[in-house]
Amino acid sequence: MTLPFIDMARARPWPPRVSAFTKPFWDALAEGRLVTTRGRTSGRLTFPPKPFCPYDWGREVEWVELSGRGKLYSQTVIHAVPAAFAGEAPICNGIVDLDEGLRVAARILGEPALDAAMECVVLRYTDGPLHAFRMTA
Amino acid sequence: MTRRVAVIGGAASPCGKLQTAVGSPLQALEHEILAPLVIEAMSRAGLPKEEVGALVFAMCRPYTLQKYFATFLANYLRLPLKGTIMEVLGNGMTGGMAFDEAVNAVALGHADVALALGINMESQANSAEHMMTTMRAVGDVDFHSIFGFTPISWYAMDAVRYMHEFGATRAELASVAVKDRRHASLNPIAQFRTPLTLVEVLAARPIVEPLGLYEVPPRSDGAVCLVVCAEDVAKATRRPYALVRGRGFFHEGAHQINEVPNDMTAFVSAQGAGAAAYRSAGITAADLDLAELYAPCTIVQVLAGEALGLTPRGKGAAQAAAGETSLGGRIPICTSGGCLSRGHPAYSTGLLTIFELWEQLTHRAGERQVRNARLGAGSCELGNYNAALVHVMEAVA
Repeated sequence: MTLPFIDMARARPWPPRVSAFTKPFWDALAEGRLVTTRGRTSGRLTFPPKPFCPYDWGREVEWVELSGRGKLYSQTVIHAVPAAFAGEAPICNGIVDLDEGLRVAARILGEPALDAAMECVVLRYTDGPLHAFRMTA
Repeated sequence: MTRRVAVIGGAASPCGKLQTAVGSPLQALEHEILAPLVIEAMSRAGLPKEEVGALVFAMCRPYTLQKYFATFLANYLRLPLKGTIMEVLGNGMTGGMAFDEAVNAVALGHADVALALGINMESQANSAEHMMTTMRAVGDVDFHSIFGFTPISWYAMDAVRYMHEFGATRAELASVAVKDRRHASLNPIAQFRTPLTLVEVLAARPIVEPLGLYEVPPRSDGAVCLVVCAEDVAKATRRPYALVRGRGFFHEGAHQINEVPNDMTAFVSAQGAGAAAYRSAGITAADLDLAELYAPCTIVQVLAGEALGLTPRGKGAAQAAAGETSLGGRIPICTSGGCLSRGHPAYSTGLLTIFELWEQLTHRAGERQVRNARLGAGSCELGNYNAALVHVMEAVA
């Protein structure tokens, strides 16, 4: 099962750089999966994904898929936006605590209350994906 | 070698609009603003220029054309230096780090007198373009900035969470801006000095919800110079001075948000830095007569005040509304008017914090003087208070 997609009829305002290492993250997101890395020796997840484990600095990591589900920790509506985001203002962004124990900051859709159950969705822009969260259906 | 260090002099420009527009026929030049402040600060210190052994600058904004501004100014002032000369950068902590490094230069014996100084010019920059740079400083460029998080958007999320958890009201938060403006009305270098009402603060257009125009920082230019010296040098001047009594620092090892869910509004770095500063000073928060906090938004002043033990957790906004953090109250916070009304020339703000403490502790603060002020704390931070630097200063007359 993949994450829900929402088509956006424009390019991302300020797209991420993609490295050889982070390419699997963005490729997976484009396919509807939210993934990150886990240290093989520590067994701990990290986000954003890293080519090593930040906890024990172990150099072996594996890609794992996340549920994309969690709770809304906080949010804001940004009215004064950086120039590249003028076309998206006002922007609703927030912080979601995933069930796997990771805290992620991203776009928020709708008007959820704090602590609401959230799910990850993929915003399919014309030039690539961005992750976002909305209240669980 | 380490020894006790004092602030013996200081001078600051008014905060506000000093910068001129590109193409303006007459330009405001940074060195022509800062150099006279150096001379004034040294005059207030009662020390000859030959005593200066180190210069530590808060780095200039990218809008300042002169590069290697520090050595340029050493030439402009004809100041040979046996200690050190450097420009430091640490986001919002920049000015505080400049002061910290000047203190270190003296404490370590590299210089008997060191200047901590800076000039921040940015008021002519277009805000939307300016944020294209600042958004890259307050988040992961590839995983946060892509959503358009601005520096103050993180503080706005603190406010939302804080109100949710503790039941603090919008009016209580907004009262911090009213209080700061009242303080600023008594400060000759403040950018905004006309009184502000609670109704005006609450009715202001939203910038980052729930915070409106008067609860977020203005764009400010500003310049400041502090004279830092060994305590025996300060004593020999027979002038009052502010002794660096304690210092604490903590960085939580996180950039904006902790990837492991934690209590974001606890400001753990301010807790850690404050505790270390109080410990090294041999005091508790209750001993302080005033605190000058780096607080670009109303909510930040509330949370930093709680983390530093000035107000109880969850009660900071209510106590601000009740006047406990006002001049004349239990523990006056931001007697300068703070970032919101004194002004926020960001890279120099940490220096202005110490400038205000020096003015208060040497009883130069005029109408905003805290009576019998003996101990004051100053804080600065970077990110969403991911790091904090706290100094405890003591009046010695």
